[in-house]
Amino acid sequence: MKALFGNGRVICALVLPGLAVMVFALVVPIGFSAYYGLTDWAGFGKFHMIGLANYLEILTADPVFWRALLNALILMLVTIFIQNPAAFALAAVLSHLPARFSRLLRTVYFVPAVLSLVVITKLWVNIFNPTYGILNKVLHLIGLKSVMISWLSDPRTALGAVLWIILWQGFGWALLFYYTGLMTVPSEIEEAARVDGAGWLQAHLRVIIPFMFPVISAVIVIDVISSLRQMEMIFLSTEGGPGSLTQFVSVYLYQKAFIAGAYGYGNALSVLFVVVAVGLTLVVQRILRRNDDAQ
Amino acid sequence: MKKLIVVMLALCVAGGLWAQSITLKMGDNLSDRTTTWGAVVEQINAEFKKANPGVEIVTESYPDQPYQQKIKIYATAKQLPDVFKYWSFSTLLKPLVDGGFVMELNKADFAKYGFVPGSLESNVWGGKLYGIPVSADMWVIYYNKKLFKDAGITTLPTTIEDLEALAPKFKTQGIIPMVTDGKDAWPLSITYDVLVERVNGDFSRQQAALDRKAKFTDPDFVEGARQYLKFVQSGLFQEDLMVSDYGASRNLFGQGKAAMYLMGSWEMGLAADTNFSDEFRSNVDAFKFPVLKNGKGKVDDLEAWYGGNYVISSASKYKDLDLKYLKYYAERFPGLAWERQATFPAQKVEPRPSDSPVAKKLLKILADAKKTSGTTTIDRSTPQFKEDHQNFTRELSSALITPEEFCRKLEASAEKASKQQ
Repeated sequence: MKALFGNGRVICALVLPGLAVMVFALVVPIGFSAYYGLTDWAGFGKFHMIGLANYLEILTADPVFWRALLNALILMLVTIFIQNPAAFALAAVLSHLPARFSRLLRTVYFVPAVLSLVVITKLWVNIFNPTYGILNKVLHLIGLKSVMISWLSDPRTALGAVLWIILWQGFGWALLFYYTGLMTVPSEIEEAARVDGAGWLQAHLRVIIPFMFPVISAVIVIDVISSLRQMEMIFLSTEGGPGSLTQFVSVYLYQKAFIAGAYGYGNALSVLFVVVAVGLTLVVQRILRRNDDAQ
Repeated sequence: MKKLIVVMLALCVAGGLWAQSITLKMGDNLSDRTTTWGAVVEQINAEFKKANPGVEIVTESYPDQPYQQKIKIYATAKQLPDVFKYWSFSTLLKPLVDGGFVMELNKADFAKYGFVPGSLESNVWGGKLYGIPVSADMWVIYYNKKLFKDAGITTLPTTIEDLEALAPKFKTQGIIPMVTDGKDAWPLSITYDVLVERVNGDFSRQQAALDRKAKFTDPDFVEGARQYLKFVQSGLFQEDLMVSDYGASRNLFGQGKAAMYLMGSWEMGLAADTNFSDEFRSNVDAFKFPVLKNGKGKVDDLEAWYGGNYVISSASKYKDLDLKYLKYYAERFPGLAWERQATFPAQKVEPRPSDSPVAKKLLKILADAKKTSGTTTIDRSTPQFKEDHQNFTRELSSALITPEEFCRKLEASAEKASKQQ
């Protein structure tokens, strides 16, 4: 067996199919995108090579691209530092509840995660509707009669409203991960910490969270990736508006390539987006690995 | 043996039928096939199929924006429908013409179908005809007569100032004064066009700016932007204007929740749309876009153009049949569209006593027009300029930029577009 796996040809034969899939599914499309990013192609008809003009324009003179990246960063931070701790705390509470209650509540919290994103987005667009939406109606009921906020189109509230929908939809997943992770923590560890005099909070902070670090790392990496690739929800609710306040890169490059007829520019955006996404994922993984080693 | 012969004969007949059967692929932006315009097209298709046995018609329909994207993708993939509805604009048809995707037509073939003067010309690029126009588009304000009466409004506003003053009267009744599609932004960009004309009284200024003979930062454009911002923020429109799409805004009006609907004459079919109540349908009417008290524009200066058209794919295998269909469409469409009061055709129609009030009014608005705008500004330049114009108008509508910044951005985009064309 050792000799078999030491044979170069065998290794090649085993690696080649997977590699071929990778090359055709990833490298070739990115290569094409990089090439078309050097053109002024509208998506059909003739085109000209314009060198790095698209890339330079994106990096130096396109505030929407930077706004889209900033929004992804804001979403990432909100997910990691608000959604995750909340999901962890709730998972910790659920793990101590009687099984029947815990199961019921877990199902309730997980419902948004199994619903179609289109349904969820339309649901919230209707809730946020200033004229007939339930949110403004509730505010009126509790006495705030003058409040008539257009949650998704008011520059002051649009990003917050969009982030809320994303967090609401993703909360069930985070909860599921943390709950499953907590179930794998041996009860002896917590009991030992309690015997040593640690309280509930201290036991979680000093013992359980460090034990769960691999789960936390995985959730953070998923959060980073999903923050970057936000598309459908934005497209169905604000399309990046008002202005570009809720713009995300995937929506922006789609609008450029397929609506504005700037296919070359859209491709250049997608290449830069890949670079940013890979770079950011590597940085996050390095930080997490360092923390993991330190544990 | 007998059985074998029967089977073989059956196969021959089936094969013969198979060979005769032709499927014409079509595309349009008329998702509702049971009422108004979509129903007219279905009737034309049914008649055409009956007159041409063995011809099948398969139609793909989507709302405007997804449809335009779909056509671009089909063009790239060389899978355009044989015959499809599109728009004559430089932002939409010209890229297809430049790419050689659209078949050239013979103008003489369509001379006898009563097209309104100038309408066929809107489909001419480089001296060649590429499509037939289907609708005459005018920018008007639809209104619900009953809701006006309920609010105690007896005279229609003739100035924008009077129009803006109506907002509180409707709001106290729990009615939205006016709705339009703000999400897609093109109605907002068209409204900016109209307001600039209401300031300077000159429809040619927009083209001059695109030709770089004037600047979008000139005082009349800046004043137009100021008037636009004032108009959008006057409380007339629905609170969620910027996220309210075509269907949502149309429904608010059709369901009697809004008193006015700022839209084009293609919505004439509202009066015949059975999705809405009889009460609504009998109360829908239209009036001319008002003027500014201190502006140079007149109420009979009409924002009007010939937008929608039908074209044939140059890659179609059945070009003769496609052309036959197009001629049949040109022959049948104006009569059927007017009979059903579905839309305002780009061909001569005979007014009838039974026409709906809104149809009569639209005919009058067109007859009263002293001058017309032609194609809207957003569709006179590049697709990127159109996208920019719409985005800047969105930003201005949300007061994220000032009228002066809006004009500066428009100027920079027009400068860039002029170098690309």
